[in-house]
Amino acid sequence: MKILVPVKRVADPDNANKVKVSDDGSRVTSDGLEWKMNPFDEWSLEAALRLTEDAGAKKRVGEVVLVSIGPKDEVQTIRQGLAMGDERGILVEAEDDDLDSHVVAQVLEAIAKKEEPDVVFLGKQSADGDSNVAGTKLADFLDWPLVNYAMHIATDDEGKTFTVKRELDVGQQTLKVTAPCVFTASDRILQPQAIKNGVTADDFAYPESDGGRYASLKGIMQAKKKPVEETTLEGLGVTPTRVNAYGSFTLPAARTGSTVFLETVEELVEKLQTEAKVL
Amino acid sequence: MPEAAPIAAAFRALEAALPEGRLTRAASELTEYGKDWTRVYEPAPSGVVFPRSTAEVQTVLRVASAHGLPVVPSGGRTGLAGGAVAKDGELVLSLERMNRIHPVDPVGATVRVEAGAITEAVHHAAEAHGLTWPVDFASKGSSQVGGNLATNAGGVKVIRYGLTRQWALGLTVVTAEGEVLELGGALEKDNTGPDLRQLFIGSEGTLGVITEAVLKLAPLPGRQDVFLFAVEHLAGVLDVFRAARRGPFTLSAFEMFTDRCLARVARHRGLRSPLETEATHYVLVEVEAPDQDALDAWMMELVEEELVLDGTRAASSEQAAHLWSLREGISESLSGTGLPHKNDIALPIAGLPAFCGELEALMAARYPDFELCLFGHIGDGNLHVNVMKPEDMEKGAFLERTHEADAALMELVQRHHGSVSAEHGIGLLKREWLSYSRSPEELTLFRALKATLDPKGILNPGKVF
Repeated sequence: MKILVPVKRVADPDNANKVKVSDDGSRVTSDGLEWKMNPFDEWSLEAALRLTEDAGAKKRVGEVVLVSIGPKDEVQTIRQGLAMGDERGILVEAEDDDLDSHVVAQVLEAIAKKEEPDVVFLGKQSADGDSNVAGTKLADFLDWPLVNYAMHIATDDEGKTFTVKRELDVGQQTLKVTAPCVFTASDRILQPQAIKNGVTADDFAYPESDGGRYASLKGIMQAKKKPVEETTLEGLGVTPTRVNAYGSFTLPAARTGSTVFLETVEELVEKLQTEAKVL
Repeated sequence: MPEAAPIAAAFRALEAALPEGRLTRAASELTEYGKDWTRVYEPAPSGVVFPRSTAEVQTVLRVASAHGLPVVPSGGRTGLAGGAVAKDGELVLSLERMNRIHPVDPVGATVRVEAGAITEAVHHAAEAHGLTWPVDFASKGSSQVGGNLATNAGGVKVIRYGLTRQWALGLTVVTAEGEVLELGGALEKDNTGPDLRQLFIGSEGTLGVITEAVLKLAPLPGRQDVFLFAVEHLAGVLDVFRAARRGPFTLSAFEMFTDRCLARVARHRGLRSPLETEATHYVLVEVEAPDQDALDAWMMELVEEELVLDGTRAASSEQAAHLWSLREGISESLSGTGLPHKNDIALPIAGLPAFCGELEALMAARYPDFELCLFGHIGDGNLHVNVMKPEDMEKGAFLERTHEADAALMELVQRHHGSVSAEHGIGLLKREWLSYSRSPEELTLFRALKATLDPKGILNPGKVF
């Protein structure tokens, strides 16, 4: 089974250096930011790894190809995935400012046609743009079946067909799809027994987790030797046609916090009514 | 315990001298403000006072001094040696209402704060200017600056930044008799005779009450990488430490814990080591590396030289926080899964393996039924020795046995030229062991200082010396 996993980096929100907006509000600046893999991509990456391994024997039985679109140092995000166990990577060099979900889907379409994976497994959205569009557009461009928000995936024929459960507000939906297809993941895909690949024993349970696996030191070292192909939009024959133009960006209002001690309950009630306006 | 009638007179005088609402004698408040995190002593203060200014602290101490009312200065009460415990009818002087943080001076990299400012609030104030007050530990959300200074608190960043005493430029102190001392200011350099500030830092409220401080700030660190390593023996931990000392980075933390600590954290909080290999010792290393390639090369060397059995590097701040939680959760998880008896000792680093070998042998020979949980800031030679109460042993019998064990432990510490309290202070809990670390000459000098600064002995009596 061969799975293509698109990954992007997002600003690490817990780092002291926060995202800033340029003075005129026209663009988000990335100066001095620390990056991490988009957490939604980390879920689909982990699911792809589970689909392509014999977990009991700790053996890889399939191939996961990572693809990332962005500046050259985005290769770090690919290396992180390779350290977790993926086989190889593709870096499509581009400026973040030139991309929108449409262009991303165009690029992924070109790569999917070239790589011919059984599955393209995306994060359902990115933690920064929150667009939730690229996966759906890609399936449309490729004319492949799409399963969004997959929470349980089973295959017993090495990924030729899948039985996939989706999480809905009103319950669960079970779909049967034939490869090649496009998946996006809900967080439930990380549940200990959410992936059945026909190779790992049926009763095998992964540890409870809310993210991807940690890279071992050996994994980090091996990742340095794994192949990462570098290409460009032109190299892939993609003529980018952006459909979105960003108007402006604003940061959330700064939070203020301090402790004020009051003498009486009456004073507290009054402040809750007049200042906090919560009563 | 002070006599009832003079106490009543002292409280009448306090009520008359202070604005309304500063004083409470409500039973629930007495219980709460009379204890710290040691939880071994029964709290029994006679009252709690919440002054709002240095002038009000002066008033409190003048009245207390005149009436001979003992006073326990009190901060966030997160101490682990009973330094803020009031168990004998003392007046608790809580600084918590004095929590003002003045504007940060970004040029001088200083900030003036009142003693009741919460440590983490100071971090937030400084962070907005790309600065930090590098005093950092698990209880930072409750601990207060005054308490940090009075106890010269340690923590997880000591290896990088040193103890709290290095991060205070100026102090405002009120003496037992109600005199205000302005010691230092916002000056980096002030070479004008003996440094009186340092007398009060670490004095645990026995020599004066710190009411305000000018704190020195450091630039916020840039990217930090966090590693968790599985290592075979304590000697192996020190091999990794040696390698870390030579590493192409600034070391900002080097922490160790044993498999038993990890098991308790797993049981209590459901946290799991992300490593596939199980080991007896785990090391958490945090570094600031200017060159990621050099850092990678260092890491590869650890694997190639087989200094570590297994390891991981956090790929995001979430992963870093998870790795840290395995270490920072230990103290809470030991208490959450049983009754720990805690010791906090320091040893010269080079002598740690020999010391730990003797410690294990001692425990195995004399206390085979005790579970020993070791963790600590190994990079500072600071070891937290925790002995867990066996399920089937009575608490009283356990405390008696651990007291015997402490005597043996402290003798061992003394023999290895260590300290009986690395960062928790002396308070009530370690008082009887002070002479294992301090000479008779030093103790005589301590008492002379106490007699000079607090002639009536009203400040935190019974603590430290």
